[in-house]
Amino acid sequence: MSKIVVEDVSIVKKNKLTPDCFTITVAPFSKTKSIRPGQFVHLQVPNCNLFFRRAFSVYSANTEEKSLEILFKVFGRGTAAMASLKKGDRLSLLGPLGSSFRKPKRNELVGLIAGGVGFPPIYFFARYLIENGFDPKKLFFFYGGRGRSDLIELTRLKKLGLNSILVTEDGSVGMKGLVTSSVEKWLLENKGNKVLYSCGPEGMLKAIDQLAQKYNIPGQISLEAPMPCGVGICLGCIKPLKSGGYTRVCKEGPIFEIGEIIL
Amino acid sequence: MIPDLSVEIAGLSFKNPILTASGTCGYGEELAEIFDLSHLGGIVTKTITMKPRDGHPSPRTAEASSGMLNAIGLANVGVDKFIEEKLIYLEKFDTRVVVNVAGTCTNDFVSLCARLNDFPRADMVELNFSCPNVDVGMEIATDAKLAEETVSKVKKVFSRPVIAKLSPNVTHIADIASACESGGADAVSLINTLVGMAVDIDTFRPRLTNNTGGLSGPAVKPVALACVYKVYKAVKIPIIGIGGISNYSDVIEFFLCGASAVQIGTTLFVEPDAPVKIVKELKKYLSKNKIKSIRELTGKVRIYK
Repeated sequence: MSKIVVEDVSIVKKNKLTPDCFTITVAPFSKTKSIRPGQFVHLQVPNCNLFFRRAFSVYSANTEEKSLEILFKVFGRGTAAMASLKKGDRLSLLGPLGSSFRKPKRNELVGLIAGGVGFPPIYFFARYLIENGFDPKKLFFFYGGRGRSDLIELTRLKKLGLNSILVTEDGSVGMKGLVTSSVEKWLLENKGNKVLYSCGPEGMLKAIDQLAQKYNIPGQISLEAPMPCGVGICLGCIKPLKSGGYTRVCKEGPIFEIGEIIL
Repeated sequence: MIPDLSVEIAGLSFKNPILTASGTCGYGEELAEIFDLSHLGGIVTKTITMKPRDGHPSPRTAEASSGMLNAIGLANVGVDKFIEEKLIYLEKFDTRVVVNVAGTCTNDFVSLCARLNDFPRADMVELNFSCPNVDVGMEIATDAKLAEETVSKVKKVFSRPVIAKLSPNVTHIADIASACESGGADAVSLINTLVGMAVDIDTFRPRLTNNTGGLSGPAVKPVALACVYKVYKAVKIPIIGIGGISNYSDVIEFFLCGASAVQIGTTLFVEPDAPVKIVKELKKYLSKNKIKSIRELTGKVRIYK
Protein backbone atom coordinates (compact mmCIF):
# COMPACT_ATOMS: atom_id res chain seq x y z
CA MET A 1 0.00 0.00 0.00
CA SER A 2 1.19 3.49 -0.77
CA LYS A 3 2.71 5.50 2.04
CA ILE A 4 1.79 8.74 0.33
CA VAL A 5 -1.61 9.27 -1.24
CA VAL A 6 -3.46 11.87 -3.28
CA GLU A 7 -7.05 12.26 -2.06
CA ASP A 8 -9.91 14.70 -2.44
CA VAL A 9 -10.98 16.11 0.91
CA SER A 10 -13.64 18.57 2.04
CA ILE A 11 -13.31 21.48 4.39
CA VAL A 12 -15.32 20.47 7.44
CA LYS A 13 -14.40 23.41 9.63
CA LYS A 14 -12.86 26.84 9.21
CA ASN A 15 -12.00 29.30 11.97
CA LYS A 16 -10.77 32.84 11.68
CA LEU A 17 -8.41 33.36 14.61
CA THR A 18 -7.27 36.88 13.73
CA PRO A 19 -7.88 39.01 10.61
CA ASP A 20 -5.14 37.08 8.79
CA CYS A 21 -4.84 33.79 10.69
CA PHE A 22 -7.03 30.78 10.01
CA THR A 23 -7.45 27.15 10.91
CA ILE A 24 -8.97 24.80 8.36
CA THR A 25 -9.96 21.21 9.09
CA VAL A 26 -10.27 18.79 6.17
CA ALA A 27 -11.66 15.24 5.96
CA PRO A 28 -11.73 12.42 5.14
CA PHE A 29 -8.05 11.62 4.79
CA SER A 30 -7.16 7.93 4.92
CA LYS A 31 -3.67 8.41 6.33
CA THR A 32 -4.39 10.46 9.47
CA LYS A 33 -3.14 7.56 11.58
CA SER A 34 0.32 7.64 10.07
CA ILE A 35 0.84 11.40 10.33
CA ARG A 36 3.58 12.38 12.77
CA PRO A 37 4.32 15.83 14.20
CA GLY A 38 6.53 17.85 11.88
CA GLN A 39 5.08 16.35 8.71
CA PHE A 40 3.16 18.39 6.19
CA VAL A 41 0.52 18.02 3.51
CA HIS A 42 0.49 19.50 0.03
CA LEU A 43 -2.80 21.13 -0.92
CA GLN A 44 -4.02 22.09 -4.33
CA VAL A 45 -5.88 25.32 -3.79
CA PRO A 46 -8.98 25.31 -6.01
CA ASN A 47 -10.29 28.16 -8.15
CA CYS A 48 -7.07 30.09 -8.40
CA ASN A 49 -4.34 30.31 -10.98
CA LEU A 50 -1.62 28.78 -8.86
CA PHE A 51 0.22 26.03 -10.67
CA PHE A 52 1.88 24.35 -7.69
CA ARG A 53 0.34 22.90 -4.59
CA ARG A 54 0.99 24.69 -1.30
CA ALA A 55 2.62 23.01 1.69
CA PHE A 56 1.01 23.24 5.12
CA SER A 57 2.37 21.81 8.32
CA VAL A 58 -0.13 19.61 10.15
CA TYR A 59 -1.54 21.31 13.26
CA SER A 60 -3.59 18.38 14.54
CA ALA A 61 -4.85 15.04 13.27
CA ASN A 62 -7.97 13.20 14.39
CA THR A 63 -7.77 9.51 13.59
CA GLU A 64 -11.42 8.75 14.43
CA GLU A 65 -12.82 11.52 12.26
CA LYS A 66 -10.09 10.99 9.66
CA SER A 67 -9.56 14.74 9.73
CA LEU A 68 -6.55 16.96 9.91
CA GLU A 69 -6.19 20.58 10.79
CA ILE A 70 -3.86 23.22 9.45
CA LEU A 71 -3.17 26.69 10.80
CA PHE A 72 -1.87 29.42 8.55
CA LYS A 73 -1.31 33.13 8.24
CA VAL A 74 -1.98 34.92 4.96
CA PHE A 75 1.40 35.69 3.40
CA GLY A 76 1.13 35.30 -0.35
CA ARG A 77 -1.19 34.25 -3.13
CA GLY A 78 -1.51 30.64 -1.94
CA THR A 79 -2.50 31.44 1.63
CA ALA A 80 -4.76 34.27 0.42
CA ALA A 81 -6.60 31.81 -1.80
CA MET A 82 -6.80 29.32 1.07
CA ALA A 83 -8.30 32.00 3.31
CA SER A 84 -11.12 32.54 0.83
CA LEU A 85 -12.25 28.89 0.94
CA LYS A 86 -15.46 27.96 2.72
CA LYS A 87 -16.78 24.99 4.63
CA GLY A 88 -17.80 22.34 2.13
CA ASP A 89 -15.20 23.32 -0.48
CA ARG A 90 -13.21 20.42 -1.84
CA LEU A 91 -9.52 20.24 -2.54
CA SER A 92 -6.86 17.70 -3.40
CA LEU A 93 -4.51 16.67 -0.61
CA LEU A 94 -1.16 14.96 -1.10
CA GLY A 95 0.45 13.47 1.96
CA PRO A 96 1.60 12.79 4.55
CA LEU A 97 4.95 14.22 3.53
CA GLY A 98 8.40 14.85 4.94
CA SER A 99 10.23 13.81 8.08
CA SER A 100 8.92 14.11 11.63
CA PHE A 101 10.31 15.06 15.05
CA ARG A 102 11.98 12.21 16.87
CA LYS A 103 10.85 11.43 20.38
CA PRO A 104 12.97 12.81 23.23
CA LYS A 105 14.49 10.42 25.75
CA ARG A 106 12.59 9.92 29.01
CA ASN A 107 15.33 11.59 31.05
CA GLU A 108 15.46 14.72 28.91
CA LEU A 109 13.95 18.10 29.62
CA VAL A 110 12.34 19.23 26.41
CA GLY A 111 12.58 22.78 25.12
CA LEU A 112 9.94 23.40 22.46
CA ILE A 113 10.48 26.71 20.69
CA ALA A 114 7.88 28.20 18.38
CA GLY A 115 8.22 31.55 16.65
CA GLY A 116 5.04 33.09 15.22
CA VAL A 117 3.55 30.84 12.55
CA GLY A 118 6.09 28.16 13.46
CA PHE A 119 3.57 27.31 16.17
CA PRO A 120 1.52 24.50 14.53
CA PRO A 121 4.09 21.69 14.28
CA ILE A 122 5.54 22.45 17.71
CA TYR A 123 2.07 22.45 19.27
CA PHE A 124 1.23 19.17 17.49
CA PHE A 125 4.46 17.65 18.78
CA ALA A 126 3.84 18.78 22.38
CA ARG A 127 0.33 17.37 22.28
CA TYR A 128 1.53 14.14 20.71
CA LEU A 129 4.16 13.66 23.41
CA ILE A 130 1.62 14.24 26.20
CA GLU A 131 -0.90 11.91 24.59
CA ASN A 132 1.85 9.31 24.41
CA GLY A 133 2.56 9.49 28.12
CA PHE A 134 5.30 12.10 28.26
CA ASP A 135 5.28 14.11 31.51
CA PRO A 136 4.03 17.64 30.65
CA LYS A 137 6.12 19.03 33.50
CA LYS A 138 9.21 18.13 31.51
CA LEU A 139 7.99 20.10 28.50
CA PHE A 140 8.91 23.79 28.26
CA PHE A 141 7.06 25.56 25.48
CA PHE A 142 8.72 28.83 24.45
CA TYR A 143 6.42 30.86 22.26
CA GLY A 144 7.85 34.03 20.73
CA GLY A 145 6.62 36.81 18.48
CA ARG A 146 6.92 40.50 17.83
CA GLY A 147 3.79 41.33 19.77
CA ARG A 148 0.47 40.12 21.09
CA SER A 149 -1.03 39.45 17.66
CA ASP A 150 1.74 36.97 16.79
CA LEU A 151 0.89 34.67 19.68
CA ILE A 152 -2.21 32.86 18.50
CA GLU A 153 -4.05 29.93 20.06
CA LEU A 154 -2.86 30.63 23.61
CA THR A 155 -5.98 29.06 25.13
CA ARG A 156 -5.35 25.84 23.31
CA LEU A 157 -1.69 25.86 24.35
CA LYS A 158 -2.60 26.38 28.03
CA LYS A 159 -4.90 23.35 27.93
CA LEU A 160 -1.90 21.10 27.38
CA GLY A 161 -0.79 21.78 30.97
CA LEU A 162 2.87 22.12 30.15
CA ASN A 163 5.26 24.92 31.12
CA SER A 164 4.63 27.75 28.72
CA ILE A 165 6.95 30.71 28.43
CA LEU A 166 5.58 33.55 26.31
CA VAL A 167 8.01 36.10 24.93
CA THR A 168 7.30 39.16 22.78
CA GLU A 169 9.70 41.72 21.39
CA ASP A 170 7.43 44.60 22.43
CA GLY A 171 6.56 43.08 25.79
CA SER A 172 2.80 43.14 25.12
CA VAL A 173 2.47 39.54 26.29
CA GLY A 174 4.76 37.57 28.60
CA MET A 175 8.40 38.49 28.85
CA LYS A 176 9.90 41.27 26.80
CA GLY A 177 12.75 40.35 24.46
CA LEU A 178 13.79 37.64 22.10
CA VAL A 179 12.69 34.07 22.62
CA THR A 180 16.27 32.87 22.15
CA SER A 181 17.38 34.81 25.25
CA SER A 182 14.72 33.02 27.33
CA VAL A 183 15.84 29.68 25.93
CA GLU A 184 19.46 30.43 26.78
CA LYS A 185 18.50 31.37 30.33
CA TRP A 186 16.56 28.12 30.65
CA LEU A 187 19.49 26.11 29.35
CA LEU A 188 21.76 27.69 31.97
CA GLU A 189 19.31 27.33 34.86
CA ASN A 190 18.42 23.69 34.34
CA LYS A 191 20.86 20.91 35.03
CA GLY A 192 20.64 17.51 33.33
CA ASN A 193 19.96 16.38 29.82
CA LYS A 194 18.03 18.68 27.56
CA VAL A 195 16.83 18.62 23.99
CA LEU A 196 15.49 21.41 21.78
CA TYR A 197 12.90 21.40 19.01
CA SER A 198 12.14 24.53 17.08
CA CYS A 199 10.09 25.95 14.25
CA GLY A 200 9.79 29.59 13.21
CA PRO A 201 11.37 32.31 11.12
CA GLU A 202 14.79 31.39 9.71
CA GLY A 203 16.54 34.11 11.74
CA MET A 204 15.21 32.58 14.94
CA LEU A 205 16.11 29.06 13.82
CA LYS A 206 19.62 30.18 13.07
CA ALA A 207 19.93 31.65 16.57
CA ILE A 208 18.53 28.45 18.14
CA ASP A 209 20.86 26.33 16.00
CA GLN A 210 23.85 28.35 17.19
CA LEU A 211 22.69 28.35 20.80
CA ALA A 212 22.24 24.58 20.83
CA GLN A 213 25.69 24.07 19.37
CA LYS A 214 27.23 26.53 21.83
CA TYR A 215 25.90 24.51 24.79
CA ASN A 216 26.22 21.18 23.00
CA ILE A 217 22.49 20.45 23.25
CA PRO A 218 20.94 18.06 20.73
CA GLY A 219 17.79 18.91 18.92
CA GLN A 220 15.92 19.44 15.71
CA ILE A 221 14.61 22.34 13.69
CA SER A 222 11.77 22.50 11.21
CA LEU A 223 12.60 24.39 8.01
CA GLU A 224 10.40 26.05 5.49
CA ALA A 225 10.98 26.52 1.75
CA PRO A 226 8.84 26.97 -1.30
CA MET A 227 8.15 23.41 -2.41
CA PRO A 228 6.99 22.79 -5.94
CA CYS A 229 6.45 19.02 -5.64
CA GLY A 230 6.68 18.19 -1.93
CA VAL A 231 7.72 14.59 -2.63
CA GLY A 232 11.40 14.97 -3.52
CA ILE A 233 11.34 14.81 -7.30
CA CYS A 234 11.70 18.42 -8.46
CA LEU A 235 14.82 19.25 -6.40
CA GLY A 236 13.61 22.83 -5.97
CA CYS A 237 13.46 23.19 -2.17
CA ILE A 238 17.12 22.63 -1.38
CA LYS A 239 19.24 23.86 1.55
CA PRO A 240 23.03 23.61 1.77
CA LEU A 241 24.37 20.91 4.11
CA LYS A 242 27.33 21.54 6.42
CA SER A 243 28.78 18.27 5.17
CA GLY A 244 28.64 19.55 1.59
CA GLY A 245 26.06 19.49 -1.17
CA TYR A 246 22.36 20.10 -0.79
CA THR A 247 19.46 18.39 0.89
CA ARG A 248 15.75 18.51 0.09
CA VAL A 249 13.55 20.29 2.62
CA CYS A 250 10.49 18.30 1.50
CA LYS A 251 12.06 14.85 1.66
CA GLU A 252 15.02 14.62 4.05
CA GLY A 253 13.31 17.48 5.92
CA PRO A 254 11.48 19.55 6.90
CA ILE A 255 12.88 18.32 10.23
CA PHE A 256 16.66 18.50 10.43
CA GLU A 257 19.19 17.95 13.19
CA ILE A 258 20.78 20.90 14.94
CA GLY A 259 23.99 21.80 13.11
CA GLU A 260 23.09 19.88 9.98
CA ILE A 261 22.11 22.76 7.71
CA ILE A 262 23.94 25.95 6.76
CA LEU A 263 21.37 28.56 7.74
CA MET B 1 -12.57 -5.73 -26.17
CA ILE B 2 -9.70 -4.45 -24.08
CA PRO B 3 -8.00 -1.64 -25.96
CA ASP B 4 -4.31 -2.13 -26.65
CA LEU B 5 -2.11 0.52 -25.12
CA SER B 6 1.17 -1.18 -25.93
CA VAL B 7 3.60 0.56 -28.23
CA GLU B 8 6.91 -0.31 -29.82
CA ILE B 9 9.88 2.01 -30.06
CA ALA B 10 12.93 0.83 -31.97
CA GLY B 11 11.97 -2.81 -31.59
CA LEU B 12 11.37 -2.56 -27.84
CA SER B 13 7.86 -3.10 -26.56
CA PHE B 14 6.32 -0.83 -23.94
CA LYS B 15 3.20 -1.97 -22.06
CA ASN B 16 1.77 1.52 -22.49
CA PRO B 17 2.97 4.76 -24.05
CA ILE B 18 3.31 6.64 -20.74
CA LEU B 19 6.85 7.33 -19.58
CA THR B 20 7.96 9.75 -16.91
CA ALA B 21 10.22 12.50 -18.21
CA SER B 22 13.82 12.99 -17.19
CA GLY B 23 14.32 15.36 -14.28
CA THR B 24 10.79 14.97 -13.00
CA CYS B 25 10.94 11.54 -11.39
CA GLY B 26 14.45 11.27 -9.92
CA TYR B 27 15.52 7.64 -10.21
CA GLY B 28 12.06 6.37 -9.36
CA GLU B 29 12.40 5.92 -5.60
CA GLU B 30 10.13 8.78 -4.57
CA LEU B 31 7.33 8.01 -7.02
CA ALA B 32 7.43 4.36 -5.93
CA GLU B 33 6.14 5.53 -2.53
CA ILE B 34 3.05 6.83 -4.32
CA PHE B 35 2.35 4.19 -6.98
CA ASP B 36 3.81 0.99 -8.34
CA LEU B 37 6.24 1.97 -11.08
CA SER B 38 5.22 -1.17 -12.97
CA HIS B 39 2.16 0.82 -14.08
CA LEU B 40 4.46 2.89 -16.27
CA GLY B 41 5.41 2.17 -19.84
CA GLY B 42 8.82 3.39 -18.81
CA ILE B 43 10.80 5.68 -16.59
CA VAL B 44 13.36 8.12 -17.94
CA THR B 45 15.89 8.81 -15.22
CA LYS B 46 17.22 12.15 -14.10
CA THR B 47 20.13 13.14 -16.32
CA ILE B 48 23.32 11.29 -15.43
CA THR B 49 26.75 12.84 -15.91
CA MET B 50 30.22 11.33 -15.47
CA LYS B 51 30.81 13.08 -12.14
CA PRO B 52 28.18 13.84 -9.47
CA ARG B 53 26.77 17.37 -9.60
CA ASP B 54 25.12 19.45 -6.85
CA GLY B 55 23.46 21.76 -9.36
CA HIS B 56 22.75 25.45 -8.94
CA PRO B 57 22.08 27.14 -5.58
CA SER B 58 18.55 27.99 -4.46
CA PRO B 59 16.25 29.37 -5.77
CA ARG B 60 16.32 27.09 -8.76
CA THR B 61 12.60 26.68 -9.41
CA ALA B 62 9.93 29.34 -9.86
CA GLU B 63 6.20 29.15 -10.45
CA ALA B 64 4.94 30.48 -13.79
CA SER B 65 1.54 30.83 -15.41
CA SER B 66 0.39 27.26 -16.12
CA GLY B 67 3.86 25.94 -15.53
CA MET B 68 7.22 26.52 -13.97
CA LEU B 69 10.76 27.65 -14.58
CA ASN B 70 13.65 25.54 -13.43
CA ALA B 71 17.39 25.81 -13.47
CA ILE B 72 18.40 22.82 -11.37
CA GLY B 73 21.71 22.53 -13.20
CA LEU B 74 21.73 18.75 -13.78
CA ALA B 75 22.08 17.80 -10.12
CA ASN B 76 22.71 14.06 -10.09
CA VAL B 77 24.61 11.29 -8.32
CA GLY B 78 27.07 10.63 -11.16
CA VAL B 79 27.29 7.50 -13.27
CA ASP B 80 29.13 5.30 -10.75
CA LYS B 81 26.62 5.71 -7.95
CA PHE B 82 23.80 5.56 -10.47
CA ILE B 83 24.89 2.13 -11.64
CA GLU B 84 25.67 0.84 -8.14
CA GLU B 85 22.50 2.03 -6.41
CA LYS B 86 19.83 3.46 -8.65
CA LEU B 87 19.85 1.11 -11.60
CA ILE B 88 19.81 -1.88 -9.23
CA TYR B 89 16.85 -0.37 -7.40
CA LEU B 90 14.93 -0.24 -10.67
CA GLU B 91 15.47 -3.99 -11.26
CA LYS B 92 12.34 -4.93 -9.34
CA PHE B 93 9.90 -2.99 -11.50
CA ASP B 94 8.29 -4.33 -14.62
CA THR B 95 8.84 -1.22 -16.72
CA ARG B 96 11.30 0.04 -19.29
CA VAL B 97 14.25 2.04 -18.01
CA VAL B 98 15.59 4.82 -20.19
CA VAL B 99 18.76 6.40 -18.85
CA ASN B 100 19.12 10.06 -19.72
CA VAL B 101 22.73 11.20 -20.07
CA ALA B 102 24.49 14.50 -20.64
CA GLY B 103 28.02 15.68 -21.07
CA THR B 104 30.07 18.67 -22.01
CA CYS B 105 31.23 17.21 -25.30
CA THR B 106 30.68 14.28 -27.66
CA ASN B 107 33.26 12.20 -25.81
CA ASP B 108 31.35 12.48 -22.54
CA PHE B 109 28.23 11.10 -24.18
CA VAL B 110 30.24 8.28 -25.69
CA SER B 111 31.98 7.37 -22.40
CA LEU B 112 28.71 7.40 -20.47
CA CYS B 113 26.90 5.23 -22.98
CA ALA B 114 29.83 2.82 -23.26
CA ARG B 115 29.68 2.41 -19.50
CA LEU B 116 25.91 1.88 -19.49
CA ASN B 117 26.12 -0.64 -22.30
CA ASP B 118 27.30 -3.27 -19.80
CA PHE B 119 24.10 -2.91 -17.77
CA PRO B 120 21.12 -4.31 -19.64
CA ARG B 121 18.63 -2.82 -17.14
CA ALA B 122 19.32 0.39 -19.05
CA ASP B 123 16.94 -0.59 -21.85
CA MET B 124 17.68 2.58 -23.77
CA VAL B 125 19.64 5.78 -23.43
CA GLU B 126 18.28 9.25 -24.06
CA LEU B 127 20.88 11.82 -25.04
CA ASN B 128 20.13 15.12 -23.35
CA PHE B 129 21.29 17.52 -26.05
CA SER B 130 19.04 20.16 -24.76
CA CYS B 131 19.39 21.22 -21.16
CA PRO B 132 19.25 25.02 -21.27
CA ASN B 133 20.61 25.49 -17.77
CA VAL B 134 24.22 24.51 -18.01
CA ASP B 135 26.83 26.36 -20.01
CA VAL B 136 27.62 23.22 -21.93
CA GLY B 137 25.69 20.75 -24.02
CA MET B 138 23.46 23.27 -25.73
CA GLU B 139 25.82 23.53 -28.66
CA ILE B 140 25.11 19.93 -29.58
CA ALA B 141 21.40 20.71 -29.45
CA THR B 142 21.71 23.62 -31.83
CA ASP B 143 24.34 22.24 -34.20
CA ALA B 144 22.93 19.60 -36.54
CA LYS B 145 26.34 18.30 -37.55
CA LEU B 146 27.56 17.94 -33.99
CA ALA B 147 24.29 16.23 -33.02
CA GLU B 148 24.64 13.76 -35.88
CA GLU B 149 28.26 13.04 -35.03
CA THR B 150 27.46 12.49 -31.36
CA VAL B 151 24.58 10.12 -32.08
CA SER B 152 26.65 8.15 -34.53
CA LYS B 153 29.55 7.78 -32.08
CA VAL B 154 27.18 6.73 -29.29
CA LYS B 155 25.58 4.15 -31.59
CA LYS B 156 28.98 2.51 -31.96
CA VAL B 157 29.34 1.90 -28.22
CA PHE B 158 25.74 1.35 -27.09
CA SER B 159 24.09 -1.76 -28.50
CA ARG B 160 20.50 -0.97 -27.51
CA PRO B 161 18.24 1.84 -28.78
CA VAL B 162 19.38 5.45 -28.58
CA ILE B 163 17.00 8.38 -28.26
CA ALA B 164 18.05 11.97 -28.94
CA LYS B 165 16.19 14.53 -26.80
CA LEU B 166 15.74 17.75 -28.68
CA SER B 167 15.60 21.37 -27.69
CA PRO B 168 12.89 23.72 -28.92
CA ASN B 169 15.36 26.59 -28.60
CA VAL B 170 16.54 26.23 -32.21
CA THR B 171 15.58 27.76 -35.54
CA HIS B 172 14.49 24.50 -37.20
CA ILE B 173 13.90 21.58 -34.87
CA ALA B 174 13.13 19.29 -37.83
CA ASP B 175 16.66 19.82 -39.19
CA ILE B 176 18.21 18.69 -35.91
CA ALA B 177 15.83 15.70 -35.80
CA SER B 178 16.82 14.70 -39.34
CA ALA B 179 20.49 15.01 -38.45
CA CYS B 180 19.98 12.72 -35.45
CA GLU B 181 18.17 10.25 -37.68
CA SER B 182 21.09 10.33 -40.14
CA GLY B 183 23.44 9.73 -37.21
CA GLY B 184 21.52 6.54 -36.45
CA ALA B 185 19.18 7.64 -33.65
CA ASP B 186 16.45 5.07 -33.05
CA ALA B 187 14.00 7.70 -31.85
CA VAL B 188 13.78 11.37 -30.96
CA SER B 189 12.08 12.82 -27.90
CA LEU B 190 10.85 16.40 -27.78
CA ILE B 191 10.61 18.98 -26.44
CA ASN B 192 12.93 19.91 -23.63
CA THR B 193 12.17 23.19 -21.83
CA LEU B 194 11.96 26.62 -23.44
CA VAL B 195 14.39 29.25 -22.18
CA GLY B 196 12.54 31.64 -19.89
CA MET B 197 12.99 34.20 -17.15
CA ALA B 198 11.13 35.78 -14.24
CA VAL B 199 12.12 38.76 -12.10
CA ASP B 200 11.19 39.84 -8.57
CA ILE B 201 10.09 43.49 -8.86
CA ASP B 202 10.95 44.28 -5.23
CA THR B 203 14.54 43.10 -5.31
CA PHE B 204 15.11 43.43 -9.09
CA ARG B 205 16.61 39.94 -8.88
CA PRO B 206 15.80 37.14 -11.29
CA ARG B 207 13.76 34.45 -9.57
CA LEU B 208 16.44 31.87 -10.39
CA THR B 209 20.09 32.09 -9.37
CA ASN B 210 20.93 30.94 -12.89
CA ASN B 211 19.06 34.07 -14.06
CA THR B 212 17.32 32.17 -16.84
CA GLY B 213 15.73 28.75 -16.70
CA GLY B 214 13.63 26.31 -18.63
CA LEU B 215 9.87 26.75 -18.94
CA SER B 216 7.78 23.60 -18.69
CA GLY B 217 4.25 22.54 -17.87
CA PRO B 218 0.91 23.02 -19.64
CA ALA B 219 2.10 26.44 -20.85
CA VAL B 220 4.45 24.79 -23.36
CA LYS B 221 2.09 22.13 -24.71
CA PRO B 222 1.05 23.99 -27.90
CA VAL B 223 4.72 24.65 -28.72
CA ALA B 224 5.55 21.00 -28.14
CA LEU B 225 2.68 19.79 -30.33
CA ALA B 226 3.79 22.01 -33.20
CA CYS B 227 7.35 20.71 -32.84
CA VAL B 228 6.17 17.08 -32.86
CA TYR B 229 4.06 17.81 -35.94
CA LYS B 230 7.01 19.37 -37.79
CA VAL B 231 9.42 16.61 -36.84
CA TYR B 232 6.91 13.89 -37.79
CA LYS B 233 6.90 15.21 -41.32
CA ALA B 234 10.71 15.22 -41.44
CA VAL B 235 11.76 11.86 -39.98
CA LYS B 236 10.80 8.19 -40.15
CA ILE B 237 12.02 7.21 -36.67
CA PRO B 238 9.48 7.24 -33.80
CA ILE B 239 8.85 10.41 -31.84
CA ILE B 240 8.34 10.52 -28.10
CA GLY B 241 6.25 13.60 -27.32
CA ILE B 242 6.99 15.69 -24.25
CA GLY B 243 5.61 19.03 -23.08
CA GLY B 244 2.84 19.91 -20.68
CA ILE B 245 0.95 16.63 -20.77
CA SER B 246 -1.39 16.45 -17.81
CA ASN B 247 -4.26 14.20 -18.91
CA TYR B 248 -5.29 11.55 -21.42
CA SER B 249 -6.55 14.03 -24.00
CA ASP B 250 -3.12 15.67 -24.10
CA VAL B 251 -1.66 12.24 -24.84
CA ILE B 252 -4.11 11.71 -27.71
CA GLU B 253 -3.21 15.13 -29.14
CA PHE B 254 0.48 14.23 -29.14
CA PHE B 255 -0.25 10.93 -30.87
CA LEU B 256 -2.35 12.64 -33.52
CA CYS B 257 0.49 15.07 -34.21
CA GLY B 258 2.93 12.21 -34.68
CA ALA B 259 4.06 10.82 -31.34
CA SER B 260 4.43 7.07 -30.76
CA ALA B 261 4.82 7.46 -26.99
CA VAL B 262 4.88 10.33 -24.53
CA GLN B 263 6.64 11.46 -21.39
CA ILE B 264 4.86 13.06 -18.44
CA GLY B 265 7.02 15.66 -16.72
CA THR B 266 6.09 18.74 -14.75
CA THR B 267 2.58 17.42 -14.09
CA LEU B 268 4.16 14.91 -11.70
CA PHE B 269 5.05 17.82 -9.43
CA VAL B 270 1.37 18.61 -9.00
CA GLU B 271 -0.24 15.19 -9.55
CA PRO B 272 2.44 12.60 -8.81
CA ASP B 273 -0.01 9.77 -9.56
CA ALA B 274 -1.06 11.28 -12.90
CA PRO B 275 0.43 8.43 -15.01
CA VAL B 276 -1.83 5.86 -13.35
CA LYS B 277 -4.93 7.99 -13.96
CA ILE B 278 -3.90 8.74 -17.54
CA VAL B 279 -3.45 5.05 -18.39
CA LYS B 280 -6.95 4.29 -17.08
CA GLU B 281 -8.51 7.18 -18.97
CA LEU B 282 -6.72 6.29 -22.19
CA LYS B 283 -8.28 2.83 -22.06
CA LYS B 284 -11.72 4.39 -21.61
CA TYR B 285 -11.16 6.78 -24.50
CA LEU B 286 -10.06 4.01 -26.84
CA SER B 287 -12.99 1.77 -25.86
CA LYS B 288 -15.50 4.55 -26.24
CA ASN B 289 -14.17 5.45 -29.68
CA LYS B 290 -13.76 1.83 -30.73
CA ILE B 291 -10.06 2.23 -31.40
CA LYS B 292 -8.28 -1.12 -31.09
CA SER B 293 -4.79 0.17 -30.49
CA ILE B 294 -3.36 3.54 -29.56
CA ARG B 295 -0.73 2.90 -32.23
CA GLU B 296 -3.37 3.61 -34.86
CA LEU B 297 -3.49 7.24 -33.81
CA THR B 298 0.09 8.27 -34.55
CA GLY B 299 0.14 11.09 -37.08
CA LYS B 300 -3.59 10.90 -37.75
CA VAL B 301 -4.30 14.61 -37.30
CA ARG B 302 -6.57 15.73 -40.13
CA ILE B 303 -4.62 18.71 -41.40
CA TYR B 304 -6.41 21.50 -43.28
CA LYS B 305 -5.15 21.73 -46.80
